[in-house]
Amino acid sequence: MVKMTLKSLDEIPLMAVSYESMEWNKTGSWRHVRPIYIERIAACRKGCPAGEPIPDYFALAKEGKYLEAWQLITQENPLPGICGRVCYHPCEKNCNRKEFDEPIAIHYMERFIADQIFNEKVSFHFIEGKKKQEVAVIGSGPAGLSCAYQLARRGYKVTIYEAFSELGGMLRIGIPHYRLPREVLDKEIDRILSLGIEVKVNTRLGKDIQLADLDRYDAIFIAIGAYKSRRMKIEGEDVKGVMPGLEFLKETNSGKDIFVGQKVAVIGGGNTAIDAARTSLRKNAEVTVFYRRSRVEMPAVAEEVEAAEHEGVKFEFLVLPVRVITEQGKVKGMELIRMQLGEPDSSGRRAPVPIPDSNFTVDTDSVFTALGEEPELDFMEKDVLEWGRLKVDENQITLKKKLFAAGDCATNPLGTVVDAIATGKKAAFAIHRSFGYKAPQIDFSNVVTYDNLNTVYFARKPRIVQIELPVEERTKHFKEVNKGIADQKAIDEIMRCFSCGLCTYCDNCYIFCPDAAVKKNKGTKGYAIDYDHCKGCGICVTECPRSTVTIIKEIESENE
Amino acid sequence: MNKQRTQLAKKDLGADKMVVIEGTHSASYGAMLARAEVIAAYPITPQTGVVEKLSEMCASGELRAKFIKVESEHSAMACCIGASAAGARSFTATSAQGLALMHELLHWAANGRHPVVMANINRAMAPPWTIWADQTDSLSQRDTGWIQFYCESNQEILDTVIQSFKIGEKVLLPCMINMDAFFLSHTSEPVALPQQEALDEWLPPFNPALKLDINEPHTFGGLTRPDAYMELRYKIQEAMDRAYDLIKKVDKEYFELFGRSYGGLVEAYNCEDAEIALVTSGTAVGTARIVVDDFRKRGIPVGLIKVRVIRPFPYKEIRDLLSPMTKVAIVDRNISFGCGGIFSQEIRASLFNYTSKPIIFNFVAGLGGRDITPTVLGDIINYVLTRNTPESDIIWFGLKK
Repeated sequence: MVKMTLKSLDEIPLMAVSYESMEWNKTGSWRHVRPIYIERIAACRKGCPAGEPIPDYFALAKEGKYLEAWQLITQENPLPGICGRVCYHPCEKNCNRKEFDEPIAIHYMERFIADQIFNEKVSFHFIEGKKKQEVAVIGSGPAGLSCAYQLARRGYKVTIYEAFSELGGMLRIGIPHYRLPREVLDKEIDRILSLGIEVKVNTRLGKDIQLADLDRYDAIFIAIGAYKSRRMKIEGEDVKGVMPGLEFLKETNSGKDIFVGQKVAVIGGGNTAIDAARTSLRKNAEVTVFYRRSRVEMPAVAEEVEAAEHEGVKFEFLVLPVRVITEQGKVKGMELIRMQLGEPDSSGRRAPVPIPDSNFTVDTDSVFTALGEEPELDFMEKDVLEWGRLKVDENQITLKKKLFAAGDCATNPLGTVVDAIATGKKAAFAIHRSFGYKAPQIDFSNVVTYDNLNTVYFARKPRIVQIELPVEERTKHFKEVNKGIADQKAIDEIMRCFSCGLCTYCDNCYIFCPDAAVKKNKGTKGYAIDYDHCKGCGICVTECPRSTVTIIKEIESENE
Repeated sequence: MNKQRTQLAKKDLGADKMVVIEGTHSASYGAMLARAEVIAAYPITPQTGVVEKLSEMCASGELRAKFIKVESEHSAMACCIGASAAGARSFTATSAQGLALMHELLHWAANGRHPVVMANINRAMAPPWTIWADQTDSLSQRDTGWIQFYCESNQEILDTVIQSFKIGEKVLLPCMINMDAFFLSHTSEPVALPQQEALDEWLPPFNPALKLDINEPHTFGGLTRPDAYMELRYKIQEAMDRAYDLIKKVDKEYFELFGRSYGGLVEAYNCEDAEIALVTSGTAVGTARIVVDDFRKRGIPVGLIKVRVIRPFPYKEIRDLLSPMTKVAIVDRNISFGCGGIFSQEIRASLFNYTSKPIIFNFVAGLGGRDITPTVLGDIINYVLTRNTPESDIIWFGLKK
């Protein structure tokens, strides 16, 4: 530092200018708060039960790194091709962009990534070394597959026991081909099995084998799902032409031609009801769904209900069947009663109450019931069950030693594919921990909210639309209805993503820093803060569009 | 165009392109012809036309400048100061409340010796909300160290913007070019655009000796102790003194090159043998020319003085022109509450130490865009003619009774 005394007017310049660089002046010492780069959890990721790192795989996909994107998704969920088609995408309900214009089409993007590598010869990798422990996975639905996958890649010897002749559980039994083509299902299952998982099909627990036979395993994971259809408990229910919707779907999905006749009545308002209705429609029937509550209470995914409507399925709300009308041991029609909504019930939905003397009849050739399904757990001791399901804690641990459970047969069933995948993974982690290892845990305490974003840097842009088969063509066959999205559209959609909590190297912090204290990392992406000169003004924090810079208090101990 | 100027403008270069444009666009063309390199502005009525035109010029490539969109006038001026400090010719424009918001940075531009050029559309200050002409906005920034021009025509706006870069960059002080809201800003007039080549030769690129440079870092405007602060201020006054002569010199050079002169700091019109002078500024001058001509025709010795520059204040010219007069009517389209018209204060102060001085009549008129018509100015002259002294320190002219 040059120290000078200015003696005359001539010595004094026109303006106050330092003689040399002022870098020696460590203005960082004035700071009492400091900005730091912290990757935060995007709201969509929190919304995804499987916890897929959405902005992270978007960032890879943006650069055309589809394989890397797929690898990132499959850290959390080995079935992106399936989920990209059938998931009810709660991620999108949580997407911060919904506050701005429309949520990102995350669902389409997941499928897009899976489709990009569908024909690639890719396989999963082991992430940990071989272990001596062996695990039995009972059931090969999404919960069983997810659990088997997470354990196998961690070095465990895994054996899957499946009651049916093919793997997939409800994915194969319940989901029609027009929503989930079988080649997608087979491909994703094969990829999981290629981790060296042993498979025993046509082996039903409680019938072909008993729990005691599995005692040699170090852990047993039960994910047998829920297949027992609830009954209507009305007159004529057992005549020919009345069938559980799930049974109808199972038979049709396996290639059997079930007679449905001209007119089909579907009873219920869940996804099975909608699948049964749309499947019947493809068999040239006139289909009506009868549901005892109103449209808003329907548990089925809204998009599926809309698609059914587009295709020509009719809906009758607030009606309850009271009798199946039969003729010569065959269904001929139904008597129903109209309902009205009363006080909210235990589910929070308004309970339907019959309106006296409002009975009416309809003609029908078949009736498919879809009133929900229950697990068949007769082989289990009663004291490990609750409400007919295996009682589990938040880590999918049952009351029985070394027994874990998830999916629809456990007490925390949410009844969807992604919830099964999520709970299957949780169970795998619980099993892993039970052997003394550490399992990953996502810290959801630091989720980016809409208020955290600086949205002035985003422009409004409509969400992409998926290509669909025309309605008139759809009902002629069982070909997939949704056709995915094109490459450029996917990039457009990625560009819409706010990338909450994940730096995209937009340079805002670098440009706005008044002290030029944000430095670009040489050779690599990202920024570093020159804490010698950062005054802690927080402009970088404010100007970061996606909340990747956070301001924290200076460590007080430094002053002591 | 008046007789005197038509006579002066005899040197015809034949290369000027004539356009019919409004006052705001005159400022834009001025900045374009001067090859401004950075423009940062925030829109405000009635200035918006300046910025719109410049953004179009930048978009079309007609003007190769960096156009910075900002969120306020404070930021606009901050951008211009930063750009100027880095050696870029910087231009902005504002009006009334926008100018008031810039206040802190007006000091910064001047004290930091950054020759930013700014067009200000004189608009009355709110509340109540108003958008019409009044000079109180710029006159209340009188002491910030800016050179301030008040223009009479669209041609003068264009020429003064160009001249301001020459003047400001030479003495390292910022310049403000003022025009009356709507009377100039939104009125179209024929304007001659000087030939670019000739202009480029006369106005070379801005190249300050000291500028921000990442390869040779310096801090500007850092903490300065009492042992140097006063000298830095003295140097600004010194620069204003140099600007005093430079404005006249530039006006002369400009006349030689492009055939137009505005008299430098002050223009005297029909003042020979005048006993009474009407003093005003801005668009009121144009109207006053007709009124004075009319009185002269009737043999009444009335002259007109246009004050073009208020900082640096033209003490010498004002003294020389006014001391022979018996009575002077100063028409102020502005007010300093508790004192009076601001031009009047300045003129009174400049004459105070001299024994030969006229009686000053301070008229406040035309506030908030009220018209100063030939009748108003005629009545003002008649008021002066029929009285030996004013009835009050401030004569609110045209005030509803």
